[in-house]
Amino acid sequence: MERVLFLSGNEAFARGAQRAGVRFACGYPGTPSTEIIEAAAQLDGVATEWCINEKVALETAVGASLAGVRTLVTMKHVGLNVAADPFMTLALIGVNAGLVVVSADDPGMHSSQNEQDNRRYARFAKVPMLEPSDSQEAYDFVAEAFALSEEFDTPVLLRSTTRLSHGRGRVLPRVPITPPTPDYTRAIDKYVMVPQYARERNRLLLHKQRRLLARSEETPINVLEAGMADFGVIASGVVYAYAREAFPKAWFLKLGMSNPLPVEKVAKLYRSVARVAVVEELDPFIEEQVRALGLPVIGKEAIPADGELDQDMIFAALEPYLKRRPPRRRRPVFAPEPRISSPPPAADLPVRPPVLCPGCPHRVVFAKLRKHKLVPLGDIGCYTLGALPPLLALDSCLCMGASIGMMSGMNKALGRKAAVAVLGDSTFFHSGVTPLIDAHYNESQGLVIVLDNRTSAMTGHQGHPGSGLHADRSQGPEVDIERLCDGIGVRCETVDATSAKAVGSAIKREIDAPGLGVLVALGPCALTVPGKAADIVVDPQRCNLCGLCFAIGCPALAPGDEAVAMTDACTGCALCVDVCKRGALTAVPVERGKA
Amino acid sequence: MNGVTTVSLVGVGGQGILLAAAVVAQAAMVEGLDVKASEVKGMAQRGGTVLSTVRFGRTVWSPVARHADVIVAMEFLEGRRALDLLAPRGTLVCAATTIAPGSVLRGEIEYPTDLAAAAAERGVRVIFVEAETLAREAGTVRAANVALLGAASTVLPFAEQSWQRALELAVPAKILDINRRAFALGRDANPTEEVRP
Repeated sequence: MERVLFLSGNEAFARGAQRAGVRFACGYPGTPSTEIIEAAAQLDGVATEWCINEKVALETAVGASLAGVRTLVTMKHVGLNVAADPFMTLALIGVNAGLVVVSADDPGMHSSQNEQDNRRYARFAKVPMLEPSDSQEAYDFVAEAFALSEEFDTPVLLRSTTRLSHGRGRVLPRVPITPPTPDYTRAIDKYVMVPQYARERNRLLLHKQRRLLARSEETPINVLEAGMADFGVIASGVVYAYAREAFPKAWFLKLGMSNPLPVEKVAKLYRSVARVAVVEELDPFIEEQVRALGLPVIGKEAIPADGELDQDMIFAALEPYLKRRPPRRRRPVFAPEPRISSPPPAADLPVRPPVLCPGCPHRVVFAKLRKHKLVPLGDIGCYTLGALPPLLALDSCLCMGASIGMMSGMNKALGRKAAVAVLGDSTFFHSGVTPLIDAHYNESQGLVIVLDNRTSAMTGHQGHPGSGLHADRSQGPEVDIERLCDGIGVRCETVDATSAKAVGSAIKREIDAPGLGVLVALGPCALTVPGKAADIVVDPQRCNLCGLCFAIGCPALAPGDEAVAMTDACTGCALCVDVCKRGALTAVPVERGKA
Repeated sequence: MNGVTTVSLVGVGGQGILLAAAVVAQAAMVEGLDVKASEVKGMAQRGGTVLSTVRFGRTVWSPVARHADVIVAMEFLEGRRALDLLAPRGTLVCAATTIAPGSVLRGEIEYPTDLAAAAAERGVRVIFVEAETLAREAGTVRAANVALLGAASTVLPFAEQSWQRALELAVPAKILDINRRAFALGRDANPTEEVRP
């Protein structure tokens, strides 16, 4: 027989992760979550990382999940605020291998600046949530959470609190699980959250809620425990243990999976007893949902809405209510299933998706990247359009700055330079610097390509620290990306984005180089360059419509009957001239400023 | 609806939809009407579809509407697409301009040519305007939006001087004259084709 262990909740999470086949675990330290990664780092088979912050930790975890390994990411409650940006959209894109987020809350604020109840995040993001109540469950629920994550293609929130994380109990180890390791497959409509794909993923997420509710109703970790008294308690997490001790004869609805709330099981408890109390620390999270069923409940009028609970406090708080006359029985009123919009019927008309502007020099990076067998992880900005036809050259768009952490996690999980990150200069300054520092510190390999047009182009050319331009258009100091990288200790070179050849060889050089590098492709936003630089003249004798120039995805190039035709949209940037191998295109300069 | 008129302006990013919408809104305000407007932009400058809606009347609550009484389309395909947004007995004022999207250029799908027939089927009126030609005549093809608006002004209930005041208020001073000319040419233009139910 396996030796019974005596573990803290956090140690049990780590052991449970090892048992569930987790190969990568990362996080940012924060009481009461810290010891999970510390314990995991001592275990065989689990690679661990401290990340620079919780946002980067989650993005790194997403990269590892996409690479096909089960990944655990840990943080304290307020850490999830920092990671909220990737967390909310992760619910839309889902996972490849399972991904579980441990959020350790701190009721009583032993070591925290606030007392927020992160159960709200599960409902906010529409992700399932598990709440273990002791060390054994902390150990067991990790595997449960990963199975849910993979079955439902969703991150799972595994919520702890101080007394679970730092409490200790017996843990009987279980047989290790060998999870599947699904290969990464490109799925632009799943991982690139531009509006047209995000709308569909959002509908999918809403439909998923019905299936998750059905699971919550049938899972054995949501259990109705019969009692002797005419009194029932609904509880989850460590509070269940307190309430069990306070009222040993009561009925219990113990919620191991507390989101979505199993309303049928709640109704069943109400059919069994005359009085029901919801006992929970912090917010009336369950209570509000029970009240929404129209059922009478003893809740926050008795149980404090702040601080920690214990069995004595719970007994004292509820006991007076049990002497009163029970409320009149009511039937639950279940909320109807929400209506979910259908996708608009597709007209037979050509759609007009936004495209990279004619004259945008940064399309060359995409065209060149396609030549390498790499996973180009993208970010938020006009260059996200590189994911759409005809370029199809970005595999992901999660949230601002996510590309770098995802690259780091994917390359770590695969042990090679499989992914590169592509992001704009404004996005780099927004949230790209911290994951770059993180990737350097954690010795990740990869290539970060900054498409630098020295402005926030997508939103209308606002300034940012790289351009130094203030909101009132006055000039302030400029942050130099090369010197910034130098300060971090990361190799960085700048290449002229308007030269296809230079971009091509710089990308090749960087991909072949060891470790981590940054390539700044510097070229202006086409919308800021007035007039037409040149007329592009097509030699119909030489053009054989091979399509090489179409691969740069310029809307100014159209296939004519016998040769390429230039449309009015042409800015004369001459990138097509650069990529043509037959010398069929020539740029004839025109005087600047003339249309 | 309740004495509220809805005008939608559609086109491709960069065609000056938002400026044209601003002129319509100003004209309504000059007439002393309540006005609400909404626009979808963001990706507008990247060659995507742009839709701007202006609603005016004595009291206007909502800035959006499912259907428009008048649609001003800066481009033929967008005009065709907007037919489904046109109220029964509505009018589409459409520029005779075509901008083929990538899928058409790549030969994946045909550019539609059935606008007149589709309009007839729906029982709505279409007025075609050679907006770019008129704008060139006025001095720059970039004023095609205002030339088209000049043509649309004939089906909108505002006085000539309200339009003129609206142009003053909405159009930058240095391009005002050229836009006044474009507006006048549009207003006086004979529709090149008209399909009546």
